[in-house]
Amino acid sequence: MKPFQEGDTMEKEKKEISGISRRNFLKATAAVGAAATITGFPAVLRGAAPKEILIGSIQPVTGPLPDIGIAMQRGNRLAIDEINARGGIKSMGGAKLKLLLGDCEAKEEVGRIVAERQIKEGAVCLVGPFLSGVAMAIATLAEQRNVPFVIDVAALDAITAKGYKNVFRCFTKTEYFMSSMSRYLDQIIREKKVSIKRIAVTNAGDAFGRGQGAAFIKYVKDKKLSFEIVEHIEYPLGVKDLSAEVAKLKAAKPDLLCPVSRPGDAKLLIREMYKQRMEVMGIISPGSPGWYEPEFVKDMDKLAYYVLDNVPWVNPKSKKFQEANARFEKQYPGKYLDTNSGYAYTGVLVIADALERAKSTDPEALREALRKTSFKDHPMVGGPVIFDEKGDNINAATAMVQVLPDPNVDDRVKVVLPKESAQASYVFPWKQLWDRG
Amino acid sequence: MNIDLVLQLAVQGFLMGGVYSLIALGLSLIFGVMRVINFAHGEMMVFAMFLSITFLQGFGLDPYISLPICAVLMFGIGYGLQRVFVNRILDLPEAMQVLVLVGLGIIFENGTLMIWGGSDISPATSLALSSLRLGNLTIDVPRLIAFVLAILITLIVMVFLKKSTLGKSIRAAADNRFGSLIIGTHINRLYGICFGIGAACVGAAGALLVPLMPAKATMGAPYTMISFVIVILGGMGSLIGALAGGLIIGVAESLGTVFLPSSMKQVVSFTIMVIILLFRPQGLFGGKG
Repeated sequence: MKPFQEGDTMEKEKKEISGISRRNFLKATAAVGAAATITGFPAVLRGAAPKEILIGSIQPVTGPLPDIGIAMQRGNRLAIDEINARGGIKSMGGAKLKLLLGDCEAKEEVGRIVAERQIKEGAVCLVGPFLSGVAMAIATLAEQRNVPFVIDVAALDAITAKGYKNVFRCFTKTEYFMSSMSRYLDQIIREKKVSIKRIAVTNAGDAFGRGQGAAFIKYVKDKKLSFEIVEHIEYPLGVKDLSAEVAKLKAAKPDLLCPVSRPGDAKLLIREMYKQRMEVMGIISPGSPGWYEPEFVKDMDKLAYYVLDNVPWVNPKSKKFQEANARFEKQYPGKYLDTNSGYAYTGVLVIADALERAKSTDPEALREALRKTSFKDHPMVGGPVIFDEKGDNINAATAMVQVLPDPNVDDRVKVVLPKESAQASYVFPWKQLWDRG
Repeated sequence: MNIDLVLQLAVQGFLMGGVYSLIALGLSLIFGVMRVINFAHGEMMVFAMFLSITFLQGFGLDPYISLPICAVLMFGIGYGLQRVFVNRILDLPEAMQVLVLVGLGIIFENGTLMIWGGSDISPATSLALSSLRLGNLTIDVPRLIAFVLAILITLIVMVFLKKSTLGKSIRAAADNRFGSLIIGTHINRLYGICFGIGAACVGAAGALLVPLMPAKATMGAPYTMISFVIVILGGMGSLIGALAGGLIIGVAESLGTVFLPSSMKQVVSFTIMVIILLFRPQGLFGGKG
C-alpha cells in the first residue's frame, strides 16, 4: 500500500510549502541534464576548434619560496599575454591561451594534487614547477594521465632519467651545470692567476639542493680537480639561522665558498659571513637561485656585490630578451627577467609553438610536436630549444653572472662569462664584505 | 676538536636561547594559569615581527624602540582573544581546545600573508650587521641585545607575578580556580590579562628577532614547536623552567651542528624532549616556579 497518493493532504502540503513536488523536481532536473549533454561538454570532444586552450601552471607561490614562485607565475603569464595579443594559436583559428594558476606550496604532494585538478579542469599541457622534487611528482602523474608536461625550471637529472614520454625540460640539467661550472672555474683561475685549494660547499636540504650539492662534490672528486672539499654543510629549506653553520665554515678556512641556496638562506649566509668576518676569495655558486633575484640584490645592497653564480641566464644581447624584459619591467616595476622568470616565459612559448604546429590539443599530436621542437625565438643564453630522446633541452647552457656596483639596482646583475655574451668583466677575488664602505 | 669553534657555537646558542626563553615564557605562563596550550604562539610572534617591520619601514622606528609598542599591541590582541575565544573553551576536552587554537594560528598566519605577502623581508636596521670581537670569538650585537632584553623581560614578568597584587591573584587562580572564584576574583579578566602577558612576551620576542633573521609569514609553526619543547623540558607552567629550557635548547641546537649535519639540528631538541618525557615527565623544574 502506498503511504500517500496524489491528492493526499500530506502531498498537497509538501507542494505548497516547497513549491516543488518530487515529480516536478525530477522532470526539471532531467531536462537540465539533457540540455547539458547537448551543449555543455567541452568543445574538444565535439571536434570543433576550441576557443580557449587551458595550460596548467604550477609554481611554489606560497611556502618557503614565494618570491621565486611569483616571479615564475608572472613569467608564464607574460608569454600567455604575448601570444594572445598577437592573435592566439593561428593554426587553431586564433584560439586563445588561458593559464590555470596553481600553487604547489613547495610541497611534492600538493604539486601533484594541483596538477591532477588542472588536468580534470581540462588543461592540455602543464608547465612548472621550479622545484625538482615537485617536478618528479608531476612527471609521474603526467605520464599516467598522458598529458604533456613542459618543465620550465627544475634541474635534477633524475627527473628525466626514466625517459618519460610526456616530460620535456627547457632548463639545464645538473650534469650540464657541473661541466660548465668546472670550465668557468678553470677560466677564472687561469685569467686571475689565483690559487684555489680549499673549497667549502653548502646546500639546502631539498631535492634540488641535495642533488646539486652532491653532484658538484662528485664532479670535483671524479674529475680529480685540484681542489679539496674542506667542508660540506647541508641545512633545511627555509632555515632561519645560519650562525652556527657559518662558524663551522669559517673554522674550515676555505679559499672559496660554493653554495647551493635559496633566496632566504642566501641572505642569512652573506649576513653571517659579514658579522663573523669570514674571509674567502669569493662566492661562486655551482648554479643556484638566491644570488641574483631583485629582492636579494636590493636588500643586501653592497653585501650582494661580486657574488658569481653559474646559471642559465637571460641573454642580455638578444632582441627577444630586451622586448620581453621591457614589458616585464613595465608590468612589475622593480623586477626583471632572470633565470627563473625567463625560463618560465620560455616554457610557455615552447608550448605555444608546439600547439601551433600540432594544430590540435590532442595529447598525441601535441607530444609529437613537442618532440620535434626547434625553438629559436627565446630570451635565454644558449641555442634553440631542442629536446633529446629523454626530453632534455640539449642547448640549455649556463652563463656566469656577477652582481656588480651600478647606481641602478635593476642593472646590477651582469653576465660576465662566456665572453661572447659578457656585459662586463668580472671581479675576483672579491673585496671582503666588511671593506666595502 | 676545534675549541674556538665549540666556544663560538656555545656563545651563539646561549644568546639565541635567551630569545627562545622569552618565547617559551609566554606559552608556559598561559599553560600554567589556564591549562591551555597556545598553538598560535609562533604565528603570533611572526605577526609581531611584521608589526615591528611596519613601524620600521613606515615611521623609521628601530625594532628596539617599537618593541614596547608591539608588546602593548600584542597584549591587547591576546586579551581580546582570551575574552572572545579562549574563555569559552577552558572547560572543553583538550582535543577541542587544540582545534580552536590551531585554527587561530592558521588565521594569524594567513592574515599575515594577506597583509604583508609571502616574501622574506629583512629590512636594514641600525645594528643588524654589527658584531664584537673578543679574541677569536665573534659576538653578534643584535643577538646580544636580544639576549639581554629577553632575560630582562623574563625577570620583570617573574617579579610581577611574585610581588604585585595582580600577579599574586593570577597565581592564586592558577593554583585553585574554584577557590579564587569563591573569594570574588574576576577570573575572566585575570585570564585575559594573563593571555595578554603571554602574547606581549611573543610580541617583544618578535621585535627582537627582526634584526636577526628575515621575516616570513609562514615561519611561525617551528617556533610554536620549539617553545613547546622548551616548556616540556623546563616543566609545564614553570617560568624558571622556560628560562632554563630556552638556554639549554639554544646551546644544544647550536652545539649539535658540530656532531650532526645541520639539517638534523632539530633532532637534538626533539631527542632532549623525548628523553625528558621518558625519565622526568614533569620537566626539570616541574611542580615549582
